[in-house]
Parts: sequence; C-alpha cells; structure tokens
Amino acid sequence: MAKVTLEHITKRYEDVTAVDDMNLDLRDGEFVCLVGPSGCGKSTTMEMIAGLTKPTEGEVYIGDRNVTKLPPKDRGVAMVFQNIALFPHMDVYDNISFGLRLRDYDKEEIDRRVDNAADIVQLEGMLDRMPDEMSGGQRQRVAIARAIVREPEVFLMDEPLANLDAKLRVHMRTELQRLHKELDTTIVYVTHDQAEAMTMSDRIAVIDAGELQQIDPPLTCYNSPENLFVAGFIGSPSMNFVDGEVTQNGLETEYFDVALDPGTIDGLSVGQRVTMGIRPEDIYPVAVDEGLQYPTNRIPARTDVMEPMGDEIFVYLLLEGAQEATMGTESRGSGQLLMSVDPDSDIQEDEEVNIVLDRSKVHLFDTTSGEAITHDITTTPVTEGRAERGETGGDA
Amino acid sequence: MASETSDGPLARWTQGVIEDTEQRNRLYRSLFYVVTLFFLVTTLFPFYWLLVLALTPNSLIRQGNWDLPFLRPQGFNWEAFVEVFQQIPFHLYVFNSFVLALITTVIVLFIASLAGYVFGRLEFPGRGVLMLGILAISYFPPAAFLVPLFEAFTGNVVVLPFVGVELFKPPRLVNTPGAMVLPFSALFLPLSIFILTTFYGQIPEGLEDAARVEGTTRLGALFRVIIPLSAPGVATASVLTFIAVYNEYFFSSIMALSNQPEQWSPLVGGILSYQTQYTTSFNLMAAASVIGVLPVVILVVVAQERIVSGLTAGALKE
Repeated sequence: MAKVTLEHITKRYEDVTAVDDMNLDLRDGEFVCLVGPSGCGKSTTMEMIAGLTKPTEGEVYIGDRNVTKLPPKDRGVAMVFQNIALFPHMDVYDNISFGLRLRDYDKEEIDRRVDNAADIVQLEGMLDRMPDEMSGGQRQRVAIARAIVREPEVFLMDEPLANLDAKLRVHMRTELQRLHKELDTTIVYVTHDQAEAMTMSDRIAVIDAGELQQIDPPLTCYNSPENLFVAGFIGSPSMNFVDGEVTQNGLETEYFDVALDPGTIDGLSVGQRVTMGIRPEDIYPVAVDEGLQYPTNRIPARTDVMEPMGDEIFVYLLLEGAQEATMGTESRGSGQLLMSVDPDSDIQEDEEVNIVLDRSKVHLFDTTSGEAITHDITTTPVTEGRAERGETGGDA
Repeated sequence: MASETSDGPLARWTQGVIEDTEQRNRLYRSLFYVVTLFFLVTTLFPFYWLLVLALTPNSLIRQGNWDLPFLRPQGFNWEAFVEVFQQIPFHLYVFNSFVLALITTVIVLFIASLAGYVFGRLEFPGRGVLMLGILAISYFPPAAFLVPLFEAFTGNVVVLPFVGVELFKPPRLVNTPGAMVLPFSALFLPLSIFILTTFYGQIPEGLEDAARVEGTTRLGALFRVIIPLSAPGVATASVLTFIAVYNEYFFSSIMALSNQPEQWSPLVGGILSYQTQYTTSFNLMAAASVIGVLPVVILVVVAQERIVSGLTAGALKE
C-alpha cells in the first residue's frame, strides 16, 4: 500500500517521444485506470512505474521512496501482463510462489501465502496443474495470484483482460473490483476498454500522444471533459462534434444555430471559433422533449441508419444540407449527428424529424486549442453544472 | 476412354497415382523407404565396416581376402577390444577427450548464453556489426591461429613486432587442458552463439518482464526462465560443441607436444598410436574407434529428442 508519484516523467526513443512530461499523483489504495488509444504511451508509463523501462527524464516515487534508479525487483510492485506471462515450464504452485522462493521465504510461509492467494482467486485444487492445461480465465487468475501472493505495495495491471472472451472479461472485471475491495492496495490499470475504465476505477487518467489529458473520477471525465480529446475518447458511442462560431446572440454552425449569451460564459468571446460537443443521449426528438428544462430551437434533420441495441436505439441523423456519407459509430462526418432514443419510440428510417439539444449538456471547446470552455450553455445557473464548470474551468 | 487405351503403361500408372489416393500413398511410402534405406546405408556402413575390421585378425586384414560381395568379418577375434587397452592406456585418451569436450562445452554454453541473450533480446547500436563480426571470424580457418597460439602457449615472451619491446611472458600452457580448451572455446563459440541467439530471441518479452518484476535480475531471468524454456536449443548447441571437441585432433595433437595421455593427447591420438614405424594394427584401430564412439552414442541417444526438435526449430526459424 503506497501512493505512486510521477514527476516530469519523459521517455524518448530515438525518434519518438513516447511519454512527454507526465505528472501523476496516485493516492494510497486508489484504483486508477490509464486509458488512451493504442500507442499513446500508457503502457510505457506503466513500465516506467514497474522499472522495466527507464525514464529519460523525471522521477518515480513509490510511497516516499525515489525508485527511479531501482531495478523492478526492488520496487515492491507486482504486475499482471496482457499476455498473462505464466512461466510455461512451472506448475501453478511454482508460478505463484516464484517471487517468494526468490526472496527465500521459508516453506511454511510460502505454502500459507500460496494457499491464501489461490483461495482469493478461487484456484484451490489446481496448484499442480501446468499452465497449458488451463483455460484462459484460469491462467489469468494464476497470474493475479502470482501478483497478490507477494503482498506488493502497488499492483500494476497491463490490459490483463484484453485476451479473454467477452463474457469472461465481464466476470473478471467484477472479480478485480472485489479483489481491490479486499486487498485495498493501490492499483494502476492500463486499458483501452472504456467499460473497464468507467466501471472499475476511482479515477481515470486519460492519456494521448504521451501527455496526460485529464485525471478525474470516471463521471467527471464523462460529464466535464477538459478538452476535445477526452470528450471524444470517453463515452461510447462518442460525443457529436459540430464546429461553429460565436456571435452576439449565440453559436452559429453550418447547419443550425444555438442561442447562448457569450457574455455570461467565462472564456467565450464573440467571433471565437468553437467546437460544440453533445452526447447522443442529450439529443431528443421534439416529440419527447417535454421534460426538458433547457431545450434549444428545433433543428430539422432526417433520420438515416438506425442501430437498435435493445435497451436503446442509435439513430444517425443527417442535418439539413449535409452530404450523405458512409458512417460508423466512431466516424461521423460533418453534418451528421448520432442520437440515442428510447427503444419504443416510433422513429423510422428516412424520415424528417425535428430534434432539440439539452442546452445544459452542451459542451463548448475552443477549436484551435481544444480546451474546454464550458459544459453548460444555459445562462441561468444549473447548480450541478455550475459546480463542475467552475472546477474544470480553472484548469483549462 | 479412348485416350486411356492409347496411353502407355507409364502414363496409366502416373494417372493412377494422381487420381487414386491409395496408389499415391503407396508411392509415397515406398519412396520414403528408399530414401531412408539410402541414408541408413551411407551412415551405418562405415560403422559396420569398423566392426568387421575390429573382429578380423590383423594378419587376415592385410591379406585382403574378402569374400565379395558380402563383407563379413573373417573370423571372430573379439580379443581386439581387450587388446586395445593392453597395448596403450586407451581409456586415458578417451578420458582426455571427454574432459576437454566437457570443459569446452560448459565454457561455450555459458559465454554463448550471455551473448545469445544480448544479441537475441537487447537492442543496442552496433548489434548488426558485432553479429557480422562473429560470423566473419567463425569462417577464419583455425590453422591461421595455430602458429601465434603455439608461440604464446609455449610460454615465449610476447614481443611487439618490429620494435622488439617485450610485453609480457604468458604462462606455459602446452601439455595442459588450457592450451586446448581456450582455442576450442573460441572456435566453437560462434555456432553456439547463433543457435542460442535464435532461441533466446523467441522467448516472449513478457516472460522476462514477469520474472524481473517478480524478483530476478536480468541475469536471473536468463537462467531461471529463458534457458529452461530454450532447452532444445541449449541441448543442440551443447551436443554439437561436445562432439566437435571430442573429435578434434588438429589443435590438440600440436598442443600436446608428444602423443602421451599424460600430456592430454586426445582420443584420435590414442587411435593413431596403434600405428608404429613398422606395424599398423588396423584391427586395434578399428576396435578403438568403436569404443571411442560409444560415449557420444550414449550422449546422443539421451539427448536425441531435444536435439531433433532443436535442429528443426532452428532451421524453420531461418
């Protein structure tokens, strides 16, 4: 149990900078997910915490110790790898006890700890099996047991569930949360799976291009993303973005206008190029917008493809004047919006609809810098929205 | 139908092989036996011939009255296998070769493991050049090293060429295992380095990382995880090295100043000492050769499975 601190960590390879001046402060006992697209430096960051990779610049602290120059074995960390990495020539007992045997624990202590760890991950009675006689989920449990048996100060997990099938992944996810509750150890968890990050972590650290974009509790990242990258990365399907320009009476985009008072929002000036973000669930067809406290004007659109998911339907909307284009959930062209509606709504494909946006959920970002300006464009204060805006506005 | 009748027997047979699975399998099977037989004859006949020579009394060998075409022993003189040890202490020559091979194998495996780890698993500037250098040196003819090594191992003072400045006086190593193990190790290292580089390079990075996080150093991970998992490669490298040194005669015949077992003369030296100025005991030489082969046969039988998979794995990797 220890906090983990990264100070100005930079990792440069010959021609690329994998991690650029990263500062992270992970609290004792916290479950933190590092998320980001492939190649963003999240695994490199973890390897530097583990000591498998040496940072070019900066310091790593675990607890109060500066471990920057220590080899992995002296850092008090345990790691679970994406490819599981069990030693294929050893049985489960030898795998789990590998670290303990290296540290010359006596036989009874090793036995006790191995039994205990096997108990936690429910592997009793399998200690004499070889790794190739086990299923993927069992192997992953052995890998986790190998990590917890050493009672490390920090757990590092590098996409431990990535190679498991979907059902097992959900199951292991809950097991890991249970484990975290039981052990109360600091866990650093690398993933590119949003669901894992959202459901398990106390805080999410969003990383892109080797730089930390935001570190906040999952819902804060979701509701108040600090910049365009976080807004687009967190949430599935991702947020809709529409470019526009601020005028005296509101926001003018190529397809529609949204009324707002630029004077009441900090950091917003007339003539500024901004990108408006709106999540699919904050777009409503006019027919069902009655409950909405702050709707925008009606925006005419035409429905295109529908994707019924069971609990909701994703409707692709073409705004008036937009080109019809090939679309996927993650690649929306300009003039296209994704709306999520109730499964029993009677929207049809290729139908004219009027939609409204929830103004209290409209995000504005500066187009050039990508920084968030506001996450609520209602001029009358909405208590919750205000509080969040104040917090993130300072950072941005 | 019409075309079939006009075909000759060969064409019909060919057609049959192409169309009929059973006929095809029969052909494959017979081809397999033909090729196997060929290799068995070419490899086992020399060994059989050694046995024939060993069992035939020397006087009959020199008469040369073999009843062709079947080359069978003329008489059954098994005493040759005993006489081998009575004429000279042949077991000491075998012991010498065995010990030299063992020491060399241990040294080569240790150094080649470290080198294989570095070349197979680490990225560093100059890796390609160094590998190429090792490859190039492995093609140098061993004879080229002989004169300077002999100079050094006889304990002559090393002198700077042309200047005449005396540098140091190396220890006198001739007639000791050192004079043979050192050049053998150097000569057989490149092969083992290449084999082990291939094998160690194949072990997933994650396993080494896991071992290091669990509490080993890089070196510890090499010995506890990478080498055990590369057992076929290690077995291949060690058997190849062992056999090469066990058979070696060129260097050791020169580094052992006379053909005496006390001066670490090797197995082949022992076999050759059945040949004197006036007589050549072919039957004893043959018997000694058969005896000399036995330790290697035992070694190969023991390590067989691993060597085969090691050789093919290495071949496939290329």
